Amino acid sequence: MKYKDYNIEDFIMDDFFIQWVKYPNENNRHFWQKWLEQHPEKREIVMQAVTMINSIHYQDKAEMDDGRYIEAFENILKAENVKDLKKINREIEFKKFNFPWRGIAASLLLCFCFGIIFKMAIQPHNTSESNTYKPAIIKRSNPAGKKSVLTLSDGSKVYLNSASEISYFSEFDDSLRVVKLSGEAFFKVQKEARPFVVETGQTKIIVLGTSFNVNQGKNGALSVALVTGKVKIKDGIGQQMSLEPSEMITRDNQGEILKTTFDPLYITGWKDKVLVFKRNSFLEVKEKVENWFGIKIKIHGEINPKMTYSGIYKDENLENVLSGIFLSSGLNYQIKDKNVIITNPIKHEETLKK
Amino acid sequence: MTFAPKMQKPQHTEDPTISSIKLSESDKKYENSADRDIWKAFNKGNETAFNYIYRVYAPALFQYGWQFSKDKNILQDCIQNIFIYLRSKRGDLTKVNSIRAYLFKIMQREVLRMVKSEKQSIHSSWDYNERIFPIEICHETKLIQQEYDIEMKRKIQYAMNQLTSRQRQAVLLLIEEGMNYKEIAEVMEFSDVRSARKIIYRALDTLKVLIRNKK
Repeated sequence: MKYKDYNIEDFIMDDFFIQWVKYPNENNRHFWQKWLEQHPEKREIVMQAVTMINSIHYQDKAEMDDGRYIEAFENILKAENVKDLKKINREIEFKKFNFPWRGIAASLLLCFCFGIIFKMAIQPHNTSESNTYKPAIIKRSNPAGKKSVLTLSDGSKVYLNSASEISYFSEFDDSLRVVKLSGEAFFKVQKEARPFVVETGQTKIIVLGTSFNVNQGKNGALSVALVTGKVKIKDGIGQQMSLEPSEMITRDNQGEILKTTFDPLYITGWKDKVLVFKRNSFLEVKEKVENWFGIKIKIHGEINPKMTYSGIYKDENLENVLSGIFLSSGLNYQIKDKNVIITNPIKHEETLKK
Repeated sequence: MTFAPKMQKPQHTEDPTISSIKLSESDKKYENSADRDIWKAFNKGNETAFNYIYRVYAPALFQYGWQFSKDKNILQDCIQNIFIYLRSKRGDLTKVNSIRAYLFKIMQREVLRMVKSEKQSIHSSWDYNERIFPIEICHETKLIQQEYDIEMKRKIQYAMNQLTSRQRQAVLLLIEEGMNYKEIAEVMEFSDVRSARKIIYRALDTLKVLIRNKK
């Protein structure tokens, strides 16, 4: 049977199809993209099969925590050969027999402890220095109107948007790279074995090496948009989700979760100084412009609440952006230092009549 | 109970092999090459190949082993034992076509062996029984909102858990783990790939009947 004759059940049982859904690689992605282009009429069935495949999971989930992951790795390297293993086994058996070994071991341990205490007493300086070394916490925050780019100690790059704050250790832990974020940032994470974790409030975003955008709104809403790689998101109440490239998860302040695709320019354009409006309401436009330039906008007169605006500005100054937005909407504007006043020459009712 | 003991973390982790677990520049090299080549490199003593295998499969083995035993210490010990064994056999390892399938197979054997040898422990009741490999149907997206769909989801989940544990295992290996039929046959120790296909077909048939009858 050919793929074009497949029904939903056939797709659900097809290993090559499933691998594309669950573990896409160059090979299967290429095939299925081409195939779907050739058979647009199959799109519906394919999407149903994808939903079905994505919904089947282990009910009993367990994650190997980082402690075990590292400990097991070290134990494996230590037990270099089977001889060592046997030795270790024997030691365990000794313990079982409760023989004087235990006493001997205890006294050895005691000697060892005394040794350490003695050593510490002689060289208080060295030990205390090496024990108290702790990496410093670095905090960076941008006021409205300012954006910045940071490089972390592991080489990862962070584009921090305006009105946002990030904090992290000057040196990361041996097993984990953690940063705390409030506001919006775009991450280009250096790929390595230590997971990279972005904490925003109660939510954790976990990745290995990847690039993605995180935006935490003031009202508790959160959106995570993945450009490349793979990320996993865990919230405070134990829900867990993962994202594939060009997928975005949005959680509103009610906790409702929505998974969608996204327009990369609209979501991540800010890091390249591109200001994008896409059918934004007047209120959204106002907030965006205020944040982007670090200004306050005041409104005189009434504004049509149904007005929406779309437009793209690449590295433009305030004057050009304002004239672009408001003149086309029939509004006047005035810039006074950090304040902008918008006036509507026509009364609201009249705009509606038009 | 511990076969390989818990050891203290070394004071200095400057051991080149340990620090290389963090360097994954070279991991990339293996990302696209076939399992056979990675295995060959591992067999020749290449540490990067070992690091790659450990990084990718240790967490997967843990999740898989969890289906057989709910004792995290046992699972960690099994993973240690497997890798210690494999490292000690480097140079004489046989060809492996799918690392995931091969490791899953030996993990399963190792966990069941460990569980059996711990008869006294409370976990000894865990055997290859009908309750293992439970399946959960969940919808990550908001698409499924309507009452009808929630009902449907409940129905499918109920039906899934009426299957035999072997059938559920096959379904999970196929769909959750993304294995092909050849790999499923290896993990479930079927001598013939056709048996792997058959078990999936049967599972689907049973599901259809169960869902229809529930209506």
